[in-house]
Amino acid sequence: MTAPALRVEGVSVGFGGVRVLEGVDLDVKPGEIRGLIGPNGAGKTTLLNVICGIHRPDAGRVLLDGVPITGKKPSSIAQLGLGRTFQTSQLFRGMTVLENLMAGLYRRTTTNVLAAGLNLRSHREEEERTEEAARKALEFVGMAQFADRPGTALSFGQQRVVEIARTLISEPRVVLLDEPAVGLSLNRLAEFDALLRRIRDEKGVALILIEHVIRLVMDVCDRVTVLSSGRRIAEGVPDEVRNDRQVIEAYLGKELRARHS
Amino acid sequence: MALFGRRNVLLVLLAVALVLPAVANSYQLYIGNLVLIYTLLAIGMNLLLGFAGQLAFANAAMFGIGAYGTGLLQVHFGLPFAIAFPAGALIAAAVGLAISFPALRLSGLYLALSTLAFAQFTQWIFLHWEGVTFGAGGFKTPQISFDPLPVSKPVGLYYLSLLVAVALYIFARNLVASRVGRAFVAVRDGEVAAQSLGVDLLRTKALAFGISGFYAGVAGGLYSQALNYVSPEGYDLFQIVLHKAMIVVGGMGSVAGSLLGAGIIIIVLELLRAVKGAQEIVFGGILLVFVLFLRGGLISVIQRYVKGWDEPLHAAPPRRDEPPPLAVPATPVAERAAP
Repeated sequence: MTAPALRVEGVSVGFGGVRVLEGVDLDVKPGEIRGLIGPNGAGKTTLLNVICGIHRPDAGRVLLDGVPITGKKPSSIAQLGLGRTFQTSQLFRGMTVLENLMAGLYRRTTTNVLAAGLNLRSHREEEERTEEAARKALEFVGMAQFADRPGTALSFGQQRVVEIARTLISEPRVVLLDEPAVGLSLNRLAEFDALLRRIRDEKGVALILIEHVIRLVMDVCDRVTVLSSGRRIAEGVPDEVRNDRQVIEAYLGKELRARHS
Repeated sequence: MALFGRRNVLLVLLAVALVLPAVANSYQLYIGNLVLIYTLLAIGMNLLLGFAGQLAFANAAMFGIGAYGTGLLQVHFGLPFAIAFPAGALIAAAVGLAISFPALRLSGLYLALSTLAFAQFTQWIFLHWEGVTFGAGGFKTPQISFDPLPVSKPVGLYYLSLLVAVALYIFARNLVASRVGRAFVAVRDGEVAAQSLGVDLLRTKALAFGISGFYAGVAGGLYSQALNYVSPEGYDLFQIVLHKAMIVVGGMGSVAGSLLGAGIIIIVLELLRAVKGAQEIVFGGILLVFVLFLRGGLISVIQRYVKGWDEPLHAAPPRRDEPPPLAVPATPVAERAAP
């Protein structure tokens, strides 16, 4: 059994008396695509915010590659190898696509103020390596032709892909994707599906996918975890989850019944 | 390389600056010196506000601390200018770093107000700590000479300003094109996203404050000698208006814009000095025009119309009034559900 890339142990969170998460456990293996689904208000985004350090849990802990990260600053957790994308586009507006990617390498670069300002050789060399890596990463996601455009000139779907590339470029161990497929057309969805598989196969990174687009989750995820009202109510391969009575009742039921009636 | 490319234009400006002492009278030389000093102030302000996005108003205070630091180290301790000048700048940088730690827990208007309060506080110190600062009357700085160099004091001082301004211009230019500069812009454009890439917010903002303080402190040291005199009103709130106006006119998030803005504002103000009341009216008019119609500053116009001006612009484009991307019509959930 492989050691988990990410382990969540008994995490509970409450906001002013409202229990948002109640003893949630989660183990994600390296190179796994894990779906995290559940009806609105199930606590998916809260769990994600706990993992990346924005919320501090009332109980429980989170381990990244066996290292406890609970209570650390978001930037420190990112430094340890946790990447994420957001529900809304978070490309830096004042940068080109290429510069956004280069910013993604922040945690892997070391140039300090003096070396940068004095344009020392170490800085120039690092800058060259950074740019080269950024171009490669853009090629990987098929966006190389947009390198010099401002990020805001891209379509929404393209911005999401660039954001994923920006996160992947520093080779994190685990990446949290918060509703990456929102707003994608059906055609784009198929491409996106392929991209996620390619990321898993070539990068060996563990992906945690929060998504409302059930088809994407069922297609691409190795395992799926279902949250409802802050509790984990099911976990398993997509087919198991799809047929789980509790899950159908809590979440899929309405939609499936609507489709089949 | 286009004829009016950025590099060519800057080299011509540098050449003009180099020969200025040979052709200018002492008043014009003083104005040249002032432009260089305000270029430093504008660059410092731009690094903090234009690049790192921190709406802070402590720049005038740092300017004053640099001037007082440089002057008082000479007066009270008899240090030579060559030591007092860098020391004054470092004191300003250190104060910039120090105030950043309490200030940076705040953001937006609260940061603006607390730094404004700090600027007023330094004014109060300059005015009332008479034993050290000589109070409202200010004090004369010791005469410096550039022996054994064969230049008069004003010419020597001008070349010193030029040397420092060129060096710190290049430094800033390099800095904003590095990972540090990208971290500044990242913090400005999205704090949460910046953190998710491993950028430490407090450290990055503190760095911006410190560097900005250093630039203002250097400018203060040069200014104290240019005037030969230091008094509180030289570093009051109007200075902040001036620095802010320079980067708005020149271009936020552009190092070259800082130079342009400083040059234009100083020269326009000096040209209008003779006409009573015109200074304020024109200054206000220029600001209105830029705020209303030319948000990107002069540099954005130059960038658009001058071929070869290949400046990487780091100002965030103005937000269009469109609904946020999330509101883009998504495929209805029913269509996307599993078959």
